[in-house]
Amino acid sequence: MAQYVKKDDDRDEEAEYSPFAGIEKGAVLQEARVFNDPQLDPRRCSQVITKLLYLLNQGDTFTKNEATEVFFAVTKLFQSRDFGLRRMVYLIIKELSPSSDEVIIVTSSLMKDMNSKTDVYRANAIRVLCRITDGTLLTQIERYLKQAIVDKNPVVASAALVSGIHWLKSNPEIVKRWSNEVQEAVQSRSALVQFHALGLLHQIRQNDRLAVSKLVSSLTKGTVRSPLAQCLLIRYTSQVIRESSMNGQTGDRPFYDYLEGCLRHKAEMVIFEAARAITELSGVTSRELTPAITVLQLFLSSSKPVLRFAAVRTLNKVAMTHPMAVTSCNIDMESLISDQNRSIATLAITTLLKTGNEAGVDRLMKQITNFMSDIADEFKIVVVDAIRSLCLKFPLKFRTLMNFLSNILREEGGFEYKKAIVDSIVTIIRDIPDAKESGLLHLCEFIEDCEFTYLSTQILHFLGIEGPKTSDPSKFIRYIYNRVILENATVRASAVSTLAKFGAMVDSLKPRIFVLLRRCLYDNDDEVRDRATLYLNTIGGDGSVVETDKDVKEFLFGSLDLPLANLETSLKNYEPSEEPFSVKSVSREVKSQPFSEKKAAAKKPTGLGAPPAGPTSTVDTYEKLLSAIPEFSTFGQLFKSSAPVELTEAETEYAVNVVKHIFDEHVVFQYNCTNTIPEQLLEDVTIVVDASEAEEFEELATKPLKSLPYDTPGQTFVAFEKPAGVPAVGKFANVLRFNVKEDYGVEDEYQLEEFEVVPSDYMLKVGVSNFRNAWESLGPDFERVDEYGLGPRESLKEAVSAVIGLLGMQPCEGTEVVAANSRSHTCLLSGVYIGNVKVLVRLSFGVESSKEVAMKLSVRSEDEADDATAAVESEGDGRLKSQAPLAFFKLKTLLTWSCQADYGVEDEYQLEEFEVVPSDYMLKVGVSNFRNAWESLGPDFERVDEYGLGPRESLKEAVSAVIGLLGMQPCEGTEVVAANSRSHTCLLSGVYIGNVKVLVRLSFGVESSKEVAMKLSVRSEDEAGTEVVAVNSRSHTCLLSGVYIGNVKVLVRLSFGVEIFKEVAMKLSVRSEDEADTHHHYYPK
Amino acid sequence: MLLAVLIANSEGNILVERFNGVPGEERLHWRSFLVKLGADNLKGVKNEELLVACHKSVYIVYTVLGHVSIYLVGKDEYDELALSEAIFVVTSAIKDVCGKPPTERLFLDKYGRICLCLDEIVWKGLLENTDKDRIKRLIRLKPPTDF
Repeated sequence: MAQYVKKDDDRDEEAEYSPFAGIEKGAVLQEARVFNDPQLDPRRCSQVITKLLYLLNQGDTFTKNEATEVFFAVTKLFQSRDFGLRRMVYLIIKELSPSSDEVIIVTSSLMKDMNSKTDVYRANAIRVLCRITDGTLLTQIERYLKQAIVDKNPVVASAALVSGIHWLKSNPEIVKRWSNEVQEAVQSRSALVQFHALGLLHQIRQNDRLAVSKLVSSLTKGTVRSPLAQCLLIRYTSQVIRESSMNGQTGDRPFYDYLEGCLRHKAEMVIFEAARAITELSGVTSRELTPAITVLQLFLSSSKPVLRFAAVRTLNKVAMTHPMAVTSCNIDMESLISDQNRSIATLAITTLLKTGNEAGVDRLMKQITNFMSDIADEFKIVVVDAIRSLCLKFPLKFRTLMNFLSNILREEGGFEYKKAIVDSIVTIIRDIPDAKESGLLHLCEFIEDCEFTYLSTQILHFLGIEGPKTSDPSKFIRYIYNRVILENATVRASAVSTLAKFGAMVDSLKPRIFVLLRRCLYDNDDEVRDRATLYLNTIGGDGSVVETDKDVKEFLFGSLDLPLANLETSLKNYEPSEEPFSVKSVSREVKSQPFSEKKAAAKKPTGLGAPPAGPTSTVDTYEKLLSAIPEFSTFGQLFKSSAPVELTEAETEYAVNVVKHIFDEHVVFQYNCTNTIPEQLLEDVTIVVDASEAEEFEELATKPLKSLPYDTPGQTFVAFEKPAGVPAVGKFANVLRFNVKEDYGVEDEYQLEEFEVVPSDYMLKVGVSNFRNAWESLGPDFERVDEYGLGPRESLKEAVSAVIGLLGMQPCEGTEVVAANSRSHTCLLSGVYIGNVKVLVRLSFGVESSKEVAMKLSVRSEDEADDATAAVESEGDGRLKSQAPLAFFKLKTLLTWSCQADYGVEDEYQLEEFEVVPSDYMLKVGVSNFRNAWESLGPDFERVDEYGLGPRESLKEAVSAVIGLLGMQPCEGTEVVAANSRSHTCLLSGVYIGNVKVLVRLSFGVESSKEVAMKLSVRSEDEAGTEVVAVNSRSHTCLLSGVYIGNVKVLVRLSFGVEIFKEVAMKLSVRSEDEADTHHHYYPK
Repeated sequence: MLLAVLIANSEGNILVERFNGVPGEERLHWRSFLVKLGADNLKGVKNEELLVACHKSVYIVYTVLGHVSIYLVGKDEYDELALSEAIFVVTSAIKDVCGKPPTERLFLDKYGRICLCLDEIVWKGLLENTDKDRIKRLIRLKPPTDF
């Protein structure tokens, strides 16, 4: 015991005295003179070198002269034969890193060491040479280095290989010549040599995909000794996998078995590396993912913090793309919330937030509340961001989450943290209407005690926009006016503007607001006074309740509607003169930024920094852009702008993409063009659009782009007219036409890809906060249900996302995520269809063992007449063309999807054809007494036709075929044909679309040759009913009448005949009151 | 790349600082960042218990050994697991040189040796030697025994 005490005492004394206490650079440099002694004292020299190292490691620097002096002195130490001193000499030379003109002093000594019989001399000499020499010397020593790489002493080999890795950066062409030796070293029995050799070999060959692929194939079959090398190999393997699948290689994923095998390696490092490689495979399936997740889950409960960290970090990443795959780890993850290491805890929390289900939100939030108090701000920001995404995913939980955010808003925290919270609340208010009132009140509470001027002003601005629209705007006034009393001038000025907005927008508050504004006239800051004066005088200064002039409101609170940069330039260029500055003189043209600038300003503003429209901000920008163009300003409200569709391949001379802007009666294509040829300036850039495959569209206007310089994107527009409210679709071919300035204005063309306007372009992604309520409120009356077979698909998930993409609707309540391995899934979608029709869709998917996917689609919409519903349904089949409903049309269904595993390569799968036939428009409605009904319709609207049905199997078969074809209700049991009868009469009744009652008498006769003849008599309530049956017959006459422009009565007789191969001939006879009376036309179809 | 090896005493004074591929102007920032990280988290941590953090794409693994704290910073292939391998080599080499988890005094007494060890372990940002016995021989310019 006494001994222990003594030891402790010793240590205290020891600690007080440091061998380097009071060390001074000058003194040490003096001491370095011992290096010049003729009789070297190795021990003393080593001590001095240690001191020099200590100084250098403390960040001390030597002047050029000092360094040179020490370096020259050190070179003398090569004379000593003491091993310890020599080792120190090698180190200090590297640390001193002498300049190139001094290096020459030691190179001969080092070269000598490189050829020394003592292995370690060789190794160290190589490393020192690598550190201090440039490329010129490399050619001289290349021969020795090649030998060193294959040296049997692993220390020498490693030294040469690691030096090779460094030299590769400065002298790649020399190092690349060593690949044979390096290849040999890869087979070395020493683990570390193999590791270093593999690293160097890969770097030498990294640009040669085939060589890397060969390297990986050979090594994955052989043995790799060191775990470090194994990790490298796993990385290279996943690189090969990535590249091979990019080349469109299909079938089994190469090397997956190798990666999977590494999951059973004995070194944790290798297991983890393999697991991470698997999770990062693109288009990884849940089957591939499962073993990796399992080992990561084991790591979560490891005693080593590094393993826990690595595992949770990887799972966090997986949760972004495959949240369901990670849910199995949730229990282990929850225990990590209390982990000592805050990095691990934060990662665990954010992962749980991504993978949790709606039911678990409350419990999770309780746990997080305890956790938040003891982590640093940067971790808190991560958590706040995760909570915002969670809230948008589960809008029903906004109360819990909003409460949490408001609680942490009240606690201590720095600016960035507070800003993150405020931004999140603002985003939630914008996206979830129900959250608005409570959210605004939380923000009001916050500004009562907010130390950040920036946040206060931003919140006041936001309050001014959103507050007046709430049910009781008056409750916010107190908070705003408090700012006028309590805060600094900047915040006071903002508060005055916010008050004025309330005054202008809410008439009932106006008189009281004016009282408050008048008080601000005595503020001691001139900006505050000025603002108050301006508002008082513009918004009806007398304070009485008057309708504030729209122009005034627009002037005070509307957006400037022109680019601020342009305004700034115009103001700078304005020279004081008689003529006042006019806003009208400011150009409205948006100057596009060169890419380099855009990248610099890459960080997207979110929350308060973004324009108030929040998520629709791109639509806003587009809307402003389009309304600024006079040709398009009359098109009305912009309904939807699509995401850009690329019309050129990557890395071509000109990059063009198109954004489809949908208006009620118009479609505007915005072509974003970029010129990637530095020498060229393009002028008068237009797009020539061929709309021959888009029948309903008519080109209206084109807005060319005057000039398109290098690397500065520009836009050109083409507008089309289309029938109002109709979801017209079509295909457009495009050619880029321009003048190249360098070639003396030579006109040139560049072929672009085609694109299509598809039904989903007419669908806006608009979420609903509570799908069930919304669904019930629309009611089953407006529901349509259909079932579809989607054929064999890669996975259920892929099928779900393909259909979601096709419909272009917003997935609700997180139902776009498909649980791994599930056999069925229900997905809820919502959207707004053109014409402002709300549409909800429920998709139920089921998958069979053969990977056949079946889908049931239920649509409900606000509108009975719902074109929308019909369109959604047809979209469900693929891209169908919409047609006039009564036309006899045939559809080829083509399911188009992007296969994820093929890196987004578009693929097609041919489905069977189906037909919409006339009988689809016929309701089977029976009559109780056919004869009475027949007589009551009278012979005026009767038509009779005779048909030969050709040889048939039996009379019975012929009768039922015709009944099936007509889709009508047989009456009085006449569908039953007596056995062996030679003739039969069948009575049918039905209601045709348009609520037209139709009766049919069919008389059949059969000859001995089994030829069946049929006489068909139709009577209908309406003349138009004559169309019906005719469609099924082989010939038909249709009577049309109309009044032509100029009040000319026109009668038309159409006679159709169908030949064997469905060739249709039509004879058209027109009679009109006009003299140009009769025409005959034959249209073969 | 192994960006930095930093060893500090318990008060946060730097004992050894070796940077690779870190520009001069950023070194001071890294030094104060690491020391603060240690001050916040290393209290009460057992010898050689590893702590881990990440800052953007850079990983940090750090620990306590006796009276000194050791920090390793890496990026790309030197992620948390590679760094933990490297820090294990560093701590075992230091223990080997000092004979036990060092006090600051002991560490400074063996300063030259420790510098040599670090030179053998991490060289210009790459992990070179990982076996402590071999390192022990190499710093005396003795050839390794195991080949």
